[in-house]
Amino acid sequence: MTDIPNLPNIDWKDPALAVRLKRRNGKDNWLCWAGLGALGAACLTLVILLASLLVSGLPAFTQTHVTLDFEILAEKVPADDPGKGKFRTIVRDAIYAHFPDITNRREKRALAGMISNGAQYELRDYVIDNPDLIGSTVSLRVPVSDPYDQLAKGLIDPQTPEENRRLKDAEIANFDALADKGLISKPLNLALIANADSRFPELAGLSGALWGSFYALLVCFLISFPVGIAAGIYLEEFAPKNRFTDLIEVNINNLAAVPSVVFGLLALVAFIGWFGLPRSAPLLGGMTLSLMTLPTIIIATRIAVQAVPPSIRDAALGLGASRHQVVTGHVLPLAIPGILTGTIIGLARALGETAPLLLIGMNAFITQAPDSVMDPATALPTQIFIWADSPERGFVSRTSAAICVLLAFLIVMNGLAIYLRKRFERHW
Amino acid sequence: MDQITIREPVVQTQPVKATARGVDVYYADNHAIKNVDIDILDKTVTAFIGPSGCGKSTFLRCLNRMNDTIDICRVTGDILLDGEDIYHRSVDPALLRARVGMVFQKPNPFPKSVYDNVAYGPRIHGLAANKAELDNIVEASLRGASLWEEAKDRLDQPGTGLSGGQQQRLCIARAIATAPEVLLMDEPCSALDPIATARIEELIDELRQNFAIVIVTHSMQQAARVSQKTAFFHLGDMVEYGETTAMFTNPEDKRTQDYITGRFG
Amino acid sequence: MGEHIVTSFDEDIAAVRAKISQMGGLAEEMLSGALSSLQSRNTDLAQSIIELDKRMDALELEVEEMATHLIVQRQPLAQDLRLVISTLKLASTLERVGDLSKSTARRGMQLASTPPAGVTNSIVRMGRQALDQLTAVLDAWGRSDVEGAIAVWRRDVDVDEAYNSLFREVVTYMMEDPRTISVGSQLLFIAKNLERIGDHATNVAEMIHYVETGQPLVEDRPKGEPAGHEIG
Repeated sequence: MTDIPNLPNIDWKDPALAVRLKRRNGKDNWLCWAGLGALGAACLTLVILLASLLVSGLPAFTQTHVTLDFEILAEKVPADDPGKGKFRTIVRDAIYAHFPDITNRREKRALAGMISNGAQYELRDYVIDNPDLIGSTVSLRVPVSDPYDQLAKGLIDPQTPEENRRLKDAEIANFDALADKGLISKPLNLALIANADSRFPELAGLSGALWGSFYALLVCFLISFPVGIAAGIYLEEFAPKNRFTDLIEVNINNLAAVPSVVFGLLALVAFIGWFGLPRSAPLLGGMTLSLMTLPTIIIATRIAVQAVPPSIRDAALGLGASRHQVVTGHVLPLAIPGILTGTIIGLARALGETAPLLLIGMNAFITQAPDSVMDPATALPTQIFIWADSPERGFVSRTSAAICVLLAFLIVMNGLAIYLRKRFERHW
Repeated sequence: MDQITIREPVVQTQPVKATARGVDVYYADNHAIKNVDIDILDKTVTAFIGPSGCGKSTFLRCLNRMNDTIDICRVTGDILLDGEDIYHRSVDPALLRARVGMVFQKPNPFPKSVYDNVAYGPRIHGLAANKAELDNIVEASLRGASLWEEAKDRLDQPGTGLSGGQQQRLCIARAIATAPEVLLMDEPCSALDPIATARIEELIDELRQNFAIVIVTHSMQQAARVSQKTAFFHLGDMVEYGETTAMFTNPEDKRTQDYITGRFG
Repeated sequence: MGEHIVTSFDEDIAAVRAKISQMGGLAEEMLSGALSSLQSRNTDLAQSIIELDKRMDALELEVEEMATHLIVQRQPLAQDLRLVISTLKLASTLERVGDLSKSTARRGMQLASTPPAGVTNSIVRMGRQALDQLTAVLDAWGRSDVEGAIAVWRRDVDVDEAYNSLFREVVTYMMEDPRTISVGSQLLFIAKNLERIGDHATNVAEMIHYVETGQPLVEDRPKGEPAGHEIG
């Protein structure tokens, strides 16, 4: 037996020990509660954010409509070219028909203002699609203009003094008269998704932004996914470890931390200035975003590849597999969940990115959804930016609604990342 | 008592399978293997023993050029397999590794089915012309690794679902599926329980009929049980190489004696 | 030889070596006592020697137990393995020496009632030679002294030769006077016992050599062919 000298004689029943133990446990508890508190604060902030977004955005998910009978008179709409019809007059006549007492020009104009400017175009498109309707009367639901929409949603209070209100008493009375006839309805605002941007809030939608974002992300994915995986695999599996590859590594890690606006400037100079790519095009946006996503994917790939156990590589090499067989047959399949997760999170970040898109002009006012990657378009975050800047009251709720849509997409993408991870994850 | 048979001890008369002459291995500036000469006999189990970091695994990995995958590793000297220099430029390491199979410390089946695990080697080297041939190879290999009876009904289930000992036998089946000439085993039982270890040892004894086997082990008892020849490595030197029984009853070198009797300070 | 990393292993080995030394001491005591009782015709002493054999048997069991325990617990290899194997053989060898001494004492008790024979002194002298061999070889064991062991091994020829001359002397004695045959045959048995003890001493020497060097002692030993095998 070896004696261990100088060990203190400890009395484990010493009450002082119990006190110290209690103090230590107290600190444990304190740490635990501090963590819970922090978590609670974070959750509370999130709830407040979501709640305020939902409360202010919810009205934008419905749109006040009025159902009117439109007389498509043959003399107003030429059958050979319905697009040239005088739909503006038809719309006005339809609303005047409900108020035969109003003859005053000024009051009539106010009355006409109740109907959205987009109504005539909806009617026109409807007639163009159904040319045999010319000469008959059509009952159609058309959006009301923004102030009436606000009124219907209770955002304009009739109790406030008339001079502080956007709608005069007479206008409110007219609207109420229509409401009494049961002509006013508030269906789901499909225009929010289906329409492109517009100067009129009741017509403005996210279609252009959604397609713009979709095309931009598609381009971003097609560029950064293969390039990122190739670069990551090369750096992990093939690159010799020397100063040069160290330098590249450091730079890639730094690139991931570069402010996105810098990439916007780079795109402005390189893609637009030197290569002459069209401004505002999703192609350009996607290329710019891929500059940002690329380092994220490279890093995700490298981490995922590093996580592949060396024993699997050894096993394959030991059987005489060549390096590409090891990579394609073993390393990539095991690393792909990690790579996909990293990619989707990188793309989600790119989806929410605003600054570089502002610099390359994806914040233009474009009233038509892009048909290809070369058409000018906006993206979801830039659309939010534009709407947040707009003075019309109706854009306030639409901005929140757009943010909700953006968040929904982000949640879906993150959910997809988790799903893919679980789906492809292999245990060994 | 009119017939008396005298049993002579079995003398190792197997031909030499692999030869190392003046082999040095460097990891960057670290001289890991120092001037090792050894003759590995065919159809014989050769055990490499020695303390951790003595270079026995490193030397083992020289025999199938697994050290090539480590950038900083440099091997000098001659290693011959059937008289042919395996480090010669004309030798492709991938083909060499099919001829010199390897089993690792931790059972490392691919996260694929039992069948695909065994079929992997024949597939990448194109050893089977059709499915039937591949089936035959898989069955023969699994039988060779004494795993067929346990695995025949679960060929399509993941190899990682087997028990540790079965996984290691699956790895052995996978290694022998390319019909290697030499089988290298790097501490194949260190992660296994005694029963699984006994199965592997029994298997090694059977496989000895067909291959030259080189096994690195930390268990002196295991080396004594399974091997006919033993080499003792210490600090990169091969201190002693000889008949296993002689090695464990009467080692020549003081360092061997100290190591196997547990006297290293 | 350095120490084991596991110190209790060293302690176990030391313990079993000490037990062997104890057996050796007992064997020496029994042999020397038997010789004394033979010389002094002391039956009480002879009886006490016969009693000692029980202790010897107990010690042998103890050594066997310790060696078994060592094998189970330590799985000794190389020199340790040779040592443990040798302790088992040593224990039974020393137990045989004890048995032979006991037999000598018992025959001495029977001789005590017969008229003293002059040859007894020669036998006792030969017995002392064997005792010296035993003492020397046990010393060599205690010191792990290979040279000492080899010296004992070489000296065995002296005991053999003493036995041969004694054998002829007793046979001549019996041929001259057939009435001495019963005493003479007892004396021959005693001489044979002592010669066997000498042989066991060489066995011990061989074991020491094997434990320390790992090699059997194979060199041709000068050997006095024991008498009594040739007819004529």
